[in-house]
Amino acid sequence: MSLRLGAMLPEVLKHLFKKPATVQYPFEKIGVPKGFRGRPVMDPNLCIGCQMCVKDCPSEALEIHKESEATDEAGKVSKKFSMTFYLDRCSHCAQCAEICPKKAIHMNSEFEDAAFDRGALKIVYK
Amino acid sequence: MSTFILPVGPQHPALKEPTSFRFMVDGETVVDADLRLGYNHRGIEKGCEERTYIQDLYLLERVCGICSNVHMTVFAQGVEKLMGIEPPKRGLFIRCLMGELERVHSHLLWLGVAGHEVGFDTFFMYTWRDREIVEDILEMISGNRVNYGMQTFGGVRRDLDEMQIKKALDGIAALKARTPYYLNIGASEPTLVARIAGVGVLPKAKALELNAAGPTTRASGVDFDVRKDDPYAGFGEHIPFNIVTDEGGDVLARVVVRAKELMESYNICEYILKNLPAGDIRVKAPRKVPEGEVVSRAEAQRGECIHYIRSNGTDKPDRVKVRAPTLANWPATLYMLRGGYVADIPIVMAAIDPCLSCTDRMAIITDPKGNEKVWNWETLRQYGIDFYRKRGIKL
Amino acid sequence: MDILKIFLYLLVYPGLLFLFVYSTFVEWIDRKLYAKFQNRMGPMYTGSHGILQPIADFVKLMAKEDIVPDKADKKLFNAVPILALTSVLTAGLLLPVWHFSDAFQSATSFQGDLIVIAYLLALPSFAYFLAGWASASMYSAIGGVRVLTLLFAYEVPMFLAILSPAVMAGSWRMAEIAAYYQANPWYLLINVFAFAVAVVALQAKLERVPFDIPHAETEVVGGAFTEYSGRKLAMFRLLADIQMVVGAGMIAALFLGGFPGGLIPGFIWFVVKTLIVVFILAAMRSVTARLRIDQMVSFSWKWLAPLALLQLVIVIFLKGYLQ
Ligand code: SF4
Ligand code: SF4
Repeated sequence: MSLRLGAMLPEVLKHLFKKPATVQYPFEKIGVPKGFRGRPVMDPNLCIGCQMCVKDCPSEALEIHKESEATDEAGKVSKKFSMTFYLDRCSHCAQCAEICPKKAIHMNSEFEDAAFDRGALKIVYK
Repeated sequence: MSTFILPVGPQHPALKEPTSFRFMVDGETVVDADLRLGYNHRGIEKGCEERTYIQDLYLLERVCGICSNVHMTVFAQGVEKLMGIEPPKRGLFIRCLMGELERVHSHLLWLGVAGHEVGFDTFFMYTWRDREIVEDILEMISGNRVNYGMQTFGGVRRDLDEMQIKKALDGIAALKARTPYYLNIGASEPTLVARIAGVGVLPKAKALELNAAGPTTRASGVDFDVRKDDPYAGFGEHIPFNIVTDEGGDVLARVVVRAKELMESYNICEYILKNLPAGDIRVKAPRKVPEGEVVSRAEAQRGECIHYIRSNGTDKPDRVKVRAPTLANWPATLYMLRGGYVADIPIVMAAIDPCLSCTDRMAIITDPKGNEKVWNWETLRQYGIDFYRKRGIKL
Repeated sequence: MDILKIFLYLLVYPGLLFLFVYSTFVEWIDRKLYAKFQNRMGPMYTGSHGILQPIADFVKLMAKEDIVPDKADKKLFNAVPILALTSVLTAGLLLPVWHFSDAFQSATSFQGDLIVIAYLLALPSFAYFLAGWASASMYSAIGGVRVLTLLFAYEVPMFLAILSPAVMAGSWRMAEIAAYYQANPWYLLINVFAFAVAVVALQAKLERVPFDIPHAETEVVGGAFTEYSGRKLAMFRLLADIQMVVGAGMIAALFLGGFPGGLIPGFIWFVVKTLIVVFILAAMRSVTARLRIDQMVSFSWKWLAPLALLQLVIVIFLKGYLQ
């Protein structure tokens, strides 16, 4: 290939009349695709407290606590569980959502999760 | 001017990652080069021994931000071998697809960085703009732009639907139309060629002797590629492709090799997307891994990536050892830097596409009496914390 | 009245105030063009489309901590930015912007002002070298040496290039040279080679890509400016902008026919013509990679200097022929 002085000049000049490829982010947002791995959200009504999510989470970002235990007339025990989730540790791998046998966890499409205070990143689902 | 020592790193604008070079410089010429690694040791290998295989998968993914998928793939492959399971064909194809998409994003990124190192920022901006296309495809398929988390034991974690295949094909077609332009610019813009042609030459014999890896060695005419020489996943008989080599051995040759590898990768992606076999994407994997040891490897965008895994029959590995491609390329880099210009240091160094966080290890030197010390995760962690505390860093 | 005029000169136009405001504007234009060429937006937030960004940057730098390294030669280290800034500001005063006719002459226009302006524009390079020297840092020292090497490469072609229009017009005074070409606009075409050489040399003088060798960030961090911060760095940056304006103004006066027509049209001509030069400079830095210092020196002596000489020969012959 031969050398050409200013080989990029035509392309560059063409861009004078093109729309910029960037957007002004905080004012203008481009969405995330379906299936984006945002923040895990847990539905306490579905949870059976099997602790699989806690065991598999690579970042130790989850805790499952028993909230209440009730026995109905038929003698069936129904337990309620809550999840304490530390967003500051989560690596958004979605392993918890994958392993949960009751599909009690799903990933939402939130991506602006930064905060100034660690306390704000502790989320309790109950 | 007589010779003096020019320190580059551990903090330097040419290196976004910490490593330290000492250059003996005579005026504008580099007389000798020396390297010190070890500024970014994170204890990942040790960490693996304290976690279950599933957790290790995600930990090892974070060895590197650019070749995250490769580390995951290599580890998953190795553990699958130990478990004695074989992923279904569709899973293997998607595994290859992720690898190639990652190679595309990495090579485009590298082209831009190479431009930036020689002050050609327009080139950098254009390649990175086009890299967004493949980033979007990766995000669409996996749900994340950096750590895709696609590989798992027994296959891949997500499937592709018709819509996604169509979108991915469109994106790849756009990239395919665009890439020859960069190859063209790389070989014809006089100021750019002046900076990369004949710079950092690594002759074939030296490349072999110093064990260079990946595009660096292929640009010196060595046709080594794990995808061909030790086919894994869907490579081998299933997916056709060619190894790209160049005889130049200089930085220009590395640009050419990477640009042409991009074209190969587009073809592989198209082939996979058009010929995706039907069926499952994964098989069920046991949680405990039978005793044994395995070496697993794959062709990362920077070269051959090797993991050694030893299991002791529990759900945690006994030992994991990572050999990232950058480590293999350092001796060759020092060779290339000697006798060059100071101005060529950044581009020669960048030409191997170095990744330091992949490469750094810690060495414990035992006392002469041979009182060996076994460090576990906790001691290692405490050591790190104390190390920084001593230097006045609050943790 | 004369005192007033001098104050007007010094402080308003083309003095301090104008040079400051206009140089920030030119920096904004340059950054915007560079961004546009790269399919980006460039500064957007401060002022309409980021027009105030250079001023904001300047204010921000002024407010930042000003660090003087322990080992530095403190007096020199502190004096150098002021020295350099003063020299380009003085150079700015020499631009023939008030010279509308022989009846209404600029006080700062005199026979030989072309030599003085070229000299004043060369001074910052020496200042950069001294800055690098005074900083007592490895990167600064390399940067400083590179500044000087670069100076030897581009300064001769630059002088040869500005010689051509002067010889053609038979004057060493920018206002007269401009007037000569205003009278014979077609003669401007004679000097195209010299114009090209002058623009390239100006780019090198401003240390912009492909000639930003002295402060190539990936090689020598900030070059001579590595140790500078806060106020002094702000001064260096302002000075580079002003140098661009004055350099572009000089080229416009010599090669593009100056700024005729009285106060308002003259001002408009000034803006338009300097912006043409700035556009070329911005495009040049968009389409090239940084050269190595040895490549730059050989490029200068192999291409720029001979081209300027050729131009000079052409001009001398034409001059003889026309007479
Ligand atoms: S997404 Fe991953 S890191 Fe986050 S809580 Fe779930 S398993 Fe843990
Ligand atoms: S895995 Fe699902 S069901 Fe089990 S504890 Fe976690 S959230 Fe509850």
